[in-house]
Amino acid sequence: MRIVEATLFALQIPFVEAFAHSVRSRSSSDSIVVRLRAEDGTVGYGEAVARPYVTGETVAGCLQFMERTLWPAVQATDYVPWAGQEEIAWLGSLTLPAEANETSGVVAWHGSRCGFELALVDCLLKAAGVSLGELLPPRHPVTYSGVITASSVEGAVKHAKRFKQFGLPYLKVKITGEADQERLAAIRAAVGPAVSLRVDGNGAYSVEGAIATCEALAEFHIDSAEQMIPRGDPQALATVQAATAISQMADESLITLADAQTLIAAKACRGFNLRLAKCGGLGPTLAIAELAQAAGIAVQVGCQVGETAILSAAGRHLAAYLPEISFCEGSYGSLLLREDLSRRPIHFGHRGLAKPLKGPGLGVEIQDALLEKYAQQTISLLAKAV
Amino acid sequence: MITLSIRPLIETHYVNQVQVFADSPWFQHLEQGQASRQEYDAFIFNLCQTHLKSPQILAFLYAVAPPTAAPQIKHNLLEELGLDQVAICHPDLLYQLATAAGFDGDRQTHLAEAAQAQIRQLCTDPLLFGTIQELGLSVLLEVTCFEWMLSRLASRIGKALAAHRGLPSESLTWFHHHSEVDIRHAEEGLDSVEQYLAYYEIEAEDLETILDITFRENIFVKRYFADLPAIAGAADENR
Ligand SMILES: [Fe+2]
Ligand SMILES: [Fe+2]
Ligand SMILES: [Mg+2]
Repeated sequence: MRIVEATLFALQIPFVEAFAHSVRSRSSSDSIVVRLRAEDGTVGYGEAVARPYVTGETVAGCLQFMERTLWPAVQATDYVPWAGQEEIAWLGSLTLPAEANETSGVVAWHGSRCGFELALVDCLLKAAGVSLGELLPPRHPVTYSGVITASSVEGAVKHAKRFKQFGLPYLKVKITGEADQERLAAIRAAVGPAVSLRVDGNGAYSVEGAIATCEALAEFHIDSAEQMIPRGDPQALATVQAATAISQMADESLITLADAQTLIAAKACRGFNLRLAKCGGLGPTLAIAELAQAAGIAVQVGCQVGETAILSAAGRHLAAYLPEISFCEGSYGSLLLREDLSRRPIHFGHRGLAKPLKGPGLGVEIQDALLEKYAQQTISLLAKAV
Repeated sequence: MITLSIRPLIETHYVNQVQVFADSPWFQHLEQGQASRQEYDAFIFNLCQTHLKSPQILAFLYAVAPPTAAPQIKHNLLEELGLDQVAICHPDLLYQLATAAGFDGDRQTHLAEAAQAQIRQLCTDPLLFGTIQELGLSVLLEVTCFEWMLSRLASRIGKALAAHRGLPSESLTWFHHHSEVDIRHAEEGLDSVEQYLAYYEIEAEDLETILDITFRENIFVKRYFADLPAIAGAADENR
């Protein structure tokens, strides 16, 4: 099946409240939605998120890569609809380039690739009348974590109390090296001993700082420490892991399959944070998950802050399908965005629980009117006449 | 000790919500006659959409009300439906406003559908609270906060629509009703909240959190100015 039209929507959807972590603070979501139309009229939606401090991609760079590299590749392909093939093999057959050249400052065009891959998967599965849940059958219910991002300790405690009121059993706390102990002490006191707490440093610490911080926070029973030190030498992360009892989780350090291999070889960490827009979409993420499983590394399904229902839906399918996940993030939907793109709400409910999505494709109905409403820039691409 | 501090705590949130709303650039534009006709009409549409289903919301609150608060909420519900001695149905007043603003049949149908869609959304949204008790409190706080705001600003809004949108006085009855009448309502609303908290034995800490959740953004800006274009300087309206 041929794809005859692509539309790229660079969105800006305001957040209900501004969001901050150690690297960036934002007041709106800046996702790029990819809408593909197949020759039979079926439409599929994918989502890319550009994070300069993760993959090196910017919104403008993504749009350019999509237009110049991904769209020609998609146009040139006659896709085989899914008809029961093995999932990783079929997803792998959707060849989509993502390699970046060394000078671009981009690790890999994974956000961009993810946008196109999800749109293709949505489109091809919808054309076959199949849900992604048939390709990736759910093995267990999904429970989402709350993420506490407030910059002040007082604000962090407020958020912790909200999440406690919502019955969330797992919370992740963004830390920056400022008032970490005070923050964790206050949050632990607010949520009680039963709630699982973990931290994410977003690369704000040195090796020594990371080790000292893990030691200082141990009394608050931290279940995992994510990306304490910046992306770089896996040996450095291995040093942190060897020196602390808290499981280290790689996030920004884990973008490509090669990253996964070197992290495993260096025994750098005990957990991987898999994020679709960071790892390049479902195919590459599943490949990393397979490696992790074989190496005994725990996987968390992470998200992009400000993602819309499209990435949330794909993340939900992934999380339910993977044999075992340590934690799951995402599906904040209208809890974070002033308006989400799906007709029915995607966000989780009490205790962080969310139902599997059963509709065709990714299982969410995207409202085109909202794409137009929030688009800052729209690029229409038509297939060249054959 | 704790019971004594509940009312001022809730009032602080209400005062803050009303203040942020009244100080918002959108409200200022409307009141000072700087909004375009389209913006006035969008505001009228949103206001009608917000309040058209008040009877349904009050019926929900009536269903969950403690016996002490039930008569008052029932009275408000009947008043809203025009089934009390005053016999003015409030949704009808909103349609009078819409008609005076020149909303044709199609636009009024769209309005009715939009109001119904909000009720549907309330039902389809995955529930974050663990029980109806917390959801009921959150709805009660929002409804009583609206009454609080209207008792202070309804006549100003009505005057602005008369002066700058040229609406005749008889089309603005809804605003007249909710300015004087709701000073009493707003106080009674706070009584209901106190009765609700006592009946369901809701702890002060949970009340604080539910207040924080309910008022994490400005409920008036959210409902009345949802689709109005951003006004410079308004981006960080909600903290
Ligand atoms: Fe009324
Ligand atoms: Fe009333
Ligand atoms: Mg992270």
